[in-house]
Amino acid sequence: MSCDEARLLIGADPGATTPALEEHLATCAGCARFRDEMRSLDADIRRALERPPDIARLRSAGPPPAWRQWALAASVVLASLAVCAVWLLRPSDTLAHEVVAHVQEEPRSWLATQHVSAQGIAQALRGAGVALDVTSDRIRYAQSCWLRGHYVPHLVIQTARGPVTVLILRHEQVRARRTFHEAGMTGIIVPAEHGSIALLARGAGDLDDLAGQMQHQVHWLPDAP
Amino acid sequence: MRNSEPGSPVSSIGGGVPAADAPITRLLESMRPELLRFAHWLARDRSIAEDIVQEALLRAWRSRDALKDPGAARPWLLTIVRREHARLYERKRLELVSLEEALETQASPGFPEPGGELFALRDAIMRLPIQYREPLILQVVGGFSTEEIARELALSATAVLTRLFRARNKLRVICGLTAVPDAPAPESLP
Repeated sequence: MSCDEARLLIGADPGATTPALEEHLATCAGCARFRDEMRSLDADIRRALERPPDIARLRSAGPPPAWRQWALAASVVLASLAVCAVWLLRPSDTLAHEVVAHVQEEPRSWLATQHVSAQGIAQALRGAGVALDVTSDRIRYAQSCWLRGHYVPHLVIQTARGPVTVLILRHEQVRARRTFHEAGMTGIIVPAEHGSIALLARGAGDLDDLAGQMQHQVHWLPDAP
Repeated sequence: MRNSEPGSPVSSIGGGVPAADAPITRLLESMRPELLRFAHWLARDRSIAEDIVQEALLRAWRSRDALKDPGAARPWLLTIVRREHARLYERKRLELVSLEEALETQASPGFPEPGGELFALRDAIMRLPIQYREPLILQVVGGFSTEEIARELALSATAVLTRLFRARNKLRVICGLTAVPDAPAPESLP
């Protein structure tokens, strides 16, 4: 085996090994060093690919093409129905994990610095059957997000400890307050009048006070969908 | 033969999932995050990736009887996702936007910080041309062998080796290593 052939095999799959390759490496320090480098690089590549790419969505200069709107509508319908299919089968202990995963999928939510307009907040709350007492100047992000089969208000509130995500989960019942730590974040899920409220912040810390405030500041409307 | 209408997961939902289909339903749902990650790296767009995975799961459901061995579900589903991604690009000329202008790389919780080596590597992988990125994603994320990638992409095994070599060679430079001379032409290899 030549050095070119050895390097092609190593570069293509640094973890692979064949008798011919090992025989070559035993006598070629350059290729052996190349394999060490490539294996180290490959470990980094695997780490890099462990999560989805952290990019913002493509910004479109104009309105989305018509096919995209239809595709989106169809996917929403299909997603709704598919979620219904697994509704009864889903494990109940994954709520905290899904809250964390959802926030990780919206990395920009914690980077917002401008407060959201009252209209934007109303839009995020629309359809969830809740009203909010929080003053709009504290809210830096407000979206209606698809989570576990429902659109839920996803807010980021600016606090003294930094941005805190609040998800209002009308359809998720929890019996008692639960705290969790995952991916460098601290969270809490508290029961509410209807459903529950999840809060999530970077690092360690106590979210109890804010969770208590949210329990009082979220008003559950009787005519919710 | 099934008593329920087997056309889609949609049909079996109205009256609940038939007991016989519960395992495959659980399986498909449990694979969704991994499929989404795979599709996301292929498509480089979350909303498109979600569409791809949704369509792929629908196709998988429709052909669930073809999955004889649950242990083979992972490569089976990844293949469906890859083909759905390819199909999407064949069917629709997706709007092409300059990556430089259109993508905003952002730090995110639990993700590498901008400026870090891993962040740069993720960015570099994202910017690899599809002919290099796709086999790399299939190999690293999908766990496909060279021969499996060759079958999937309708290439020779040597061509796949070359593409994988070139993909990693481009990434070497990002990590401060020197690029090595290009791989020999496929036809010159045994």
